[in-house]
Amino acid sequence: MIDEEKPISRRRKQILWIVRGIFIAAAAAGALWLFVGYQPPRHKVWPGREKVVFWHMWTSNWAEVVQNIVDRFNESQDRYEVVPLTVTGGSLKTLIATSGGAPPDCMAQWESVIPAWAERGALVPLDTLMPPDEWHALRDRLYTAVRDIGMYKGHFYGLSTGMNIWAVYYRPDHFREAGLDPDKFPRTLEDLDAAADKLFQYDSAGRITRIGFSPRWLVQYVAVFGGSLYDPATDRLTFTNPRNVEALEWITARADKYGFERILQFESGLSTTMQASWPFISGAFSMVLDGQWRVEQLAKFAPELEYRVAPIPPPKGGKPLACWSNGNFMIIPSGARHKEGAWAFMRFWSGVDKPERAAEFYTWGGWLPITPEVAAAPIYQAYCNKYPQFRTFLEVMASPNVQVTPPVPVQAYMMNRVGWAEDAALRKTLSPRQALQQAARETEREIENDRVGKE
Amino acid sequence: MARRNNLAGWLLVSPVVLGLVVFTLYPFVASLALSFCEYDIFTPPRWIGLWNYETMLSRDPLFWKSLGNVLYYTILAVPLGILFGVGLALLLDARIRGLAVYRTIFFLPSIVPVVATSVLWIWLLNPQIGLVNTLLRLAGIEGPTWLASVRWSKESLVFMGVWGVGGSMLIYLAGLKDIPASLYEAALVDGANAWQRVRYVTLPMLTPVIFFNLVMGMIGSFQYFTQAYVMTQGGPLDSTRFYALHLFYEAFQYLKMGYASALAWVLFLMVVAVTALLFRSQHKWVHYGR
Repeated sequence: MIDEEKPISRRRKQILWIVRGIFIAAAAAGALWLFVGYQPPRHKVWPGREKVVFWHMWTSNWAEVVQNIVDRFNESQDRYEVVPLTVTGGSLKTLIATSGGAPPDCMAQWESVIPAWAERGALVPLDTLMPPDEWHALRDRLYTAVRDIGMYKGHFYGLSTGMNIWAVYYRPDHFREAGLDPDKFPRTLEDLDAAADKLFQYDSAGRITRIGFSPRWLVQYVAVFGGSLYDPATDRLTFTNPRNVEALEWITARADKYGFERILQFESGLSTTMQASWPFISGAFSMVLDGQWRVEQLAKFAPELEYRVAPIPPPKGGKPLACWSNGNFMIIPSGARHKEGAWAFMRFWSGVDKPERAAEFYTWGGWLPITPEVAAAPIYQAYCNKYPQFRTFLEVMASPNVQVTPPVPVQAYMMNRVGWAEDAALRKTLSPRQALQQAARETEREIENDRVGKE
Repeated sequence: MARRNNLAGWLLVSPVVLGLVVFTLYPFVASLALSFCEYDIFTPPRWIGLWNYETMLSRDPLFWKSLGNVLYYTILAVPLGILFGVGLALLLDARIRGLAVYRTIFFLPSIVPVVATSVLWIWLLNPQIGLVNTLLRLAGIEGPTWLASVRWSKESLVFMGVWGVGGSMLIYLAGLKDIPASLYEAALVDGANAWQRVRYVTLPMLTPVIFFNLVMGMIGSFQYFTQAYVMTQGGPLDSTRFYALHLFYEAFQYLKMGYASALAWVLFLMVVAVTALLFRSQHKWVHYGR
């Protein structure tokens, strides 16, 4: 039996018309956006040239800096045209593009991808793209950290476009207030502890209101204590090196002195560490370890703030001008179609061929250079004169005591476990030695799993 | 005519069928095959037999840690969710003024996107300036560091889960409406008081709905991911490294797609086993009113 169709009521008709209207309006808005508002991706300007696709991670103002460098490169020669594209979440997208056989020709990535991808044959060794004598000359000119990060199992896979170095930012006004001389920054770690003790402040309930100095992030202090997480000669992890244990013991002792929970509580109430709301500006920290990018941020967001920067002072038997370093690296995926073009662009940007020209790019981004030649260029020196605090970072960059993450294929896992060990020691779950022993055991097992799984 | 109708029917459902085959069935089967392979995306998968499963059981301490975390969370969060869901539904089933407003208020949290809820709770549980510790301070109690505390991190996530019971509450409410009034009338005639009516009429008649929410809640708990990923990233000290988060890190941070597939299959089998156990248990406590 078929139901007799009921006539549609007036009210239903009205509703139907409203729904139709919404659909039509949405479709019209979409069409308008397509024809008027939509900005198509940047196409090639020079049709006759080889297209070099460059994926990077920068957006907004940084993307403009990258675009300017790309424009300079495209204007400087007539064979290649670099087409840049901001790709956020780049490593995953590159994985998918690579597995699909369509990776970019070159890309900017954090350094941690180098050992993991190189181990899997996913990167082009850059030393194969230049004659041996040129490679040897470049290798000798690079800053230690730049070279060490780029190398994996005897080949060079990544060229930095900007390194990161950490140093202690401190507030002279707090120093004076605590009876310390800001012109005489502590020269040893022991003196730094003493100064920090004078700079801590509390409220009437005993809660922290200002941190003098609170060390955390073991890898930074492993370098300062003269320890090491890895021995390149034996290709073995050395987490339990006595100097590493001492570094972690010092970190936990400092946290114990002020109460780890109390420090966590205070820090959790601070605004995020981004740009203008960096708690150092508001005076929540008297001394804090941070990177060179803060110099430009402070000039922009707190131009009146009086501050200074000093390298982390070493303990007795430690290393001066030391820290852990990382950076952005340009790499060429092995499936890239225009390797030569990608390499030409990388040389241009990083200053391998003309350091004086590249020095200007580094000043646009406030980046640390890869060779002393770039740093010595007049334009870079002028930048350092404009931001004198930047010189401290440059000085540390040139130091042989700067350390990098050990080049093992399971680098991300290893760093996760090192962070875990530090946390375990700080929370008294394990002693510093036990925590490092456990992290070493787990990382070695992971390396073994990785190796046997591949065999 | 029938053939033409058939064809038209298949054509109309083809987007769904194709989508199911390409995006569900194929990955499902492929992940089973990949779980016996070493696969890092860059290089083609390579058969390694049961190596991934052996690694899981004997060489990956984080597997056991994440499994322990998820079991702890499930045992705590699922019963609490049922308790609060049923309790709220009973309260909001009463005939009082402004009932619609109360129902809306309690239901609202469940429609807030998970990521937004997570970010909100990061602030609520902030040890220094969060609302929870501020209220505790007013009562003279110095609250813990919640998400930053190994002792309280999982419990913090459970509290947050309880805040979002509005969805299940609504299902319980629907279940309550379905209980025949004659049963309450009979209970009244027998002299049952309010508690006895709840205990001997409401709860037994609600058991099919409780069973449904138990199964769904258990499956959801085993797959717990987003909140931990947004709020704690598995820390502190792996105390919120839940199974799905461990799987995600193995796949997308360490590029161990084969191993992650094996983890996914073990998770699937665990969920199937627990669901089967629950179904087997239902004849003892679920009343379908037949």
